[in-house]
This record gives sequence, structure tokens and C-alpha cells, in this order.
Amino acid sequence: MRELRIAAVGDVHLDESLRGRYRERLDDIGEHADVLLLAGDLTRHGTLEEAGVVADEFRDLPVPVIAVLGNHDHHSNHPAEIAAMLNDAGIKVLHDDATVLDVDGVRLGVVGGKGFGGGYAGKCASDFGEPEIKAFIGHTKRIAERWRVALKELEADRRIVLSHYSPVKDTLSGEPLEIYPFLGSYLLAEAADAEGADLVIHGHAHAGTEKGVTPGGIRVRNVALPVLGRAYGVYCL
Amino acid sequence: MEAPQYVAARVQRALAEDERTNELGIRVDVRGEQLFLRGQVTGNERRLLIADVAREAAPGLTVRNEITVIDVRGPGEEERL
Repeated sequence: MRELRIAAVGDVHLDESLRGRYRERLDDIGEHADVLLLAGDLTRHGTLEEAGVVADEFRDLPVPVIAVLGNHDHHSNHPAEIAAMLNDAGIKVLHDDATVLDVDGVRLGVVGGKGFGGGYAGKCASDFGEPEIKAFIGHTKRIAERWRVALKELEADRRIVLSHYSPVKDTLSGEPLEIYPFLGSYLLAEAADAEGADLVIHGHAHAGTEKGVTPGGIRVRNVALPVLGRAYGVYCL
Repeated sequence: MEAPQYVAARVQRALAEDERTNELGIRVDVRGEQLFLRGQVTGNERRLLIADVAREAAPGLTVRNEITVIDVRGPGEEERL
């Protein structure tokens, strides 16, 4: 089976002041990668104007582009409109579902969405107490369950989970311990480990580190732009 | 006099909640009359805006803007998994 080259970056936080700046790094992406994954926080405030910049920076690339949104992309309460604008620009936006690409006969399956927080095994929020806490952790639980089902139903040769929030602590190293519950949840990793994947990509943790692994042994890469320090990471499967 | 921890927390909240910045990843430290900002952003305009918002949230302190601007390089070396 042919090797797949996966380019990925998150947390580009584009707005009008950055128009064109990112695009100049993408013109030769076809020489480096077969697909580009965007791990959320594509905008600064989640406005439609900023989404327009994102659409223009990533449209008509020589490789397919698959994205999830991040917490910043939700800030102005227009996630559906932003997703629609990106879809119109040819960028496939995942919302707790899956897509399968054919890359020279190799089926690449990508499952994912924004994800959410809650913390990591043994040190996390529980579905207990006030409705506000239940709503918080309930959101993560529902997302993880949808990912598990999407992975179970996925028929592909290579499987990637694309998230904004982090499924593991490994890639948070460098972030303050106190904010870990706001950076991700182990429930996301549990879903991936239960159904199997070849790689998990996430962003969100700007002060974290690039490389980690789930408890079940799936490689995890934090591709937040400040962590990578380069236009995108390229991972070969 | 307000404890420096509360001043730093107020500035951090302002950076996150002010529409001009909505910046969650900046470290804020207050030492005496100085307020230090550290972190990484993608453009100089944003770096200066963060200092403006911090200055408004903590008038009277000298803002030391130690935020760095990331220079987005090419993709670099690929990793084989």
C-alpha cells in the first residue's frame, strides 16, 4: 500500500491582518503532502469576516483540505455558518462525523470534530452535581460517543482522528497543570483506542509539545502553530 | 494596595475576554511596578494590541511586552510513523 503524507496544522487564528501571509507557505504543499488537515481555531473571534480569510487562504490547494473548528471559531456563535463558508471553499469540515478520501487507491478515513475538555483519567470532571458541571462533561461524553460510532463504521485503509482539544496529557507538557481540564479529555482518546486509529491530530495547546501517544498506543501529534513553529507538520503513514 | 496576583488575573481575563484580543495563551506576571507579558502570536499588530489591552486593565504599571512573533517557516522535515 502506498505511503500517505499527512500535512497538519492548527491554531492559525487568521484575521484580515494576516490575509495572504499563510497562503504563501502553501503553494508547494502538493510536493510535500497528499492531504492537509486543519485542527481548529482557524479564526481569532469566530466572525464570518475572519472565516472569509480562512476560506481564501485554504481554497483551491493542490491537495484536499479537511478541517475541524475550535473554541475560537465558536466565540461569535456562528459555527454552522463558518463551516458552510469553508465547505463552499472546498474545505471539508468535520462535525463529529467521518470522511473518506481516495488517495491513489488508498482509502484515507478521517473522523473528528472540535472535541472538548474535562480532564484526564483520575483527575477529571464527572457527570455529577450541578447541572452546569453535568452539561460541561456531558458535552464531551456525547462527542466521544459520536467519534466512537464514526470510527466503528469507518471503512478505510488508514484512519486518522482530527480534533481541536487534546485527547492526551503527553502533548500538553509545557502548559500549566491547572488548566489541563480545559485543554482536553481522556474520553476522546478512549474512543480512538476502543475502535482503533493510526494517528490522532489535535491543536489548542499552544504551549504544549508536538509528540505523544494514547494509552492504547496510537500516536498523537499536537499541531498548534506555536508548537510546530512551521507552516505545517508532515506525517507519513 | 491590590495584591499583584489579582492584577495579573485581571489582565489575563481582559486579554481573553476583550474583543480586540481574545487571547488565551499569554502569560502575565506582575513584579512590583512592572507587568510582564510572555507568549507567542502570529503578527506584530496583535502583539501591540495585547499590550494596549493589558495597559488599560492595569493602569499605572509599566508593561514589559516580551511576546514574540512567530515567523512561519516552511514545512520542514516529514516524520515517518
